Amino acid sequence: MSSAASIRTGAGAEAPADPELVRIRDVIYKAAGIFHPDTKLRLLQDRCGRRMKELGMASLREYSERITAGPKAQPELVSLLNEITIGETSFFRNQPQLEALRRIVIPNIIQAKAHIPIRRLRIWSAGCSTGEEPYTLRMLTLEEASGQLRDWSIEILATDLNERSLAHAQEGAYGSYSTRNLAPAYRGKYFTEHGDKLQVNAVTRSNISFSRLNLSDDSRMTFMKSLDVIFCCNVLIYFDLASKQRVIQHFFNNLLPHGYLFLGHSESLYGVNDDFRLVHFPGATAYVKGDRAIPGGKRS
Amino acid sequence: MTPATATKQVLLQRLEGLRQIPTIPAVLAPLLRYLQQPVEQIDVQKVTDLISQDKSLAAQCLQMANSPLFGRAQPVQSLRGAVMSLGFHHVSDIAMSCGVLNMLPSDKTSLDPVVFWEHSLGCALVCRHLARKINFSDPGKAYLAGLLHDLGIIVNLWVLPKEFRAAWEIGKAEGIPLHEAELRVLGFSHSESGRLLAERWELAPELIEVVSHHHFPEKASEHQGLVALVQLADLLCRMSGLNYGYIELRQVSLMEESGFAVLEKHSTALKDFDWARLTFELDSYMDEVHSLVRAIYRT
Repeated sequence: MSSAASIRTGAGAEAPADPELVRIRDVIYKAAGIFHPDTKLRLLQDRCGRRMKELGMASLREYSERITAGPKAQPELVSLLNEITIGETSFFRNQPQLEALRRIVIPNIIQAKAHIPIRRLRIWSAGCSTGEEPYTLRMLTLEEASGQLRDWSIEILATDLNERSLAHAQEGAYGSYSTRNLAPAYRGKYFTEHGDKLQVNAVTRSNISFSRLNLSDDSRMTFMKSLDVIFCCNVLIYFDLASKQRVIQHFFNNLLPHGYLFLGHSESLYGVNDDFRLVHFPGATAYVKGDRAIPGGKRS
Repeated sequence: MTPATATKQVLLQRLEGLRQIPTIPAVLAPLLRYLQQPVEQIDVQKVTDLISQDKSLAAQCLQMANSPLFGRAQPVQSLRGAVMSLGFHHVSDIAMSCGVLNMLPSDKTSLDPVVFWEHSLGCALVCRHLARKINFSDPGKAYLAGLLHDLGIIVNLWVLPKEFRAAWEIGKAEGIPLHEAELRVLGFSHSESGRLLAERWELAPELIEVVSHHHFPEKASEHQGLVALVQLADLLCRMSGLNYGYIELRQVSLMEESGFAVLEKHSTALKDFDWARLTFELDSYMDEVHSLVRAIYRT
């Protein structure tokens, strides 16, 4: 049987990148700390294309001038960043990850905090996009409120760089695409129907605070303290190594000693950070801080 | 005597008394040994000759070569053609799988033989991949060790089906490792029953150690490195969906396993190994393993 190790192939040989596109990339990197490696340039080109269509522009050269010079440069850069950071997302997207949270991680956290009088669980959805992730986490913790999380206060911090995504998240109205994995029982319990959309209800909104945050903003990152779990899914993929390392170091400092960092389904910290340690759950991985005894003991 | 030790006595008696102890087809051992050589030294005709000694294996190879899995435009008519079409790795997978799957009782009320064999084959692949990546001595041996590490499960399915089923059900209900559930119900795990069969089959000493100690590699004596490699691959498979038909509710840190410390002594490359990537790559292994085992089982 052939080894599948080399099966994972990239997009293959590509034409040399358009110098204007490279220039746009550098502008974005300088302004927002989000770097598109060569393999992501096509994605960037698509995003620029959407903006160009809206502006009625035909060439990348014209567009790169727009975001680099003149009074309209800054607002256009924000529009482009909005376009770049919009991600496809849905409720309960990564089931094994959520199962690991509910059945293994939360019990471990409860155990780790057993001696602390304040029963508080703090989860950060870093790069929450249009809100599906924090609302999913809220539903999950609400489901546990009469069980393992009885008497626990829950805080869910939801941040994103993209203002438009945040506005969508706060509005909390979703179409059929992002609610496709939602169990029928949850629709009635956590949503109200508004025409062809589902609107999150007051209970689902409770204990979530939305705010705009750039993960490259070092001064604000240091204030995200005392976290039990951080979710940062498919956000760091746009970052260059140095920015990623900085963000991850912040995450490391922001997490409590027993804390967990969850990344997107195929994201890895390999070569980025040596302080975090990879752990496996059934069908999911996460990162934990340094050496510590694993609750439940060691067994193979 | 506790119920568990009583069960162990029963196992020993039943195993001793069994005339029809599970046997591997006679051709399998020489065939697998021959296929373990470097590819350049393998002679297609010799492989064909060996396989043709076992009619059912020959038929299975032909059927597999003509199955949609290997998608050939022209049907393969001869055994030699089948061997060439399948490739040597697949021939040994098929040979081993036929041997083991034919041996297993087809009772699916507990551990499904197909699921069991998918785990074994997946573990074999991960062992070989890992052995190559960390420059461990013999990837072929690592592959075979992965394939056979759970031999004891065959024994338990065969000799103590009712008791094994009770153990499997406890494992599933509580989400605990199978060997822990076995220990609770039977008083021993598949490591011990596997050792009995491995010794009876006169497997190579390193394979006997793998079968006996793959949950506690530090207890192995001569071949700790190989046993440790199998422990890590086994764990990774069980956490990645190539499990025993149920989910183990636990957090695994491979770097904290006893096998990791053992294996580090044998390979300096282990320190920098990208486990996350291997975990993601396992997805593609899984598809391959599912298709292969299901195709063999159907034929």
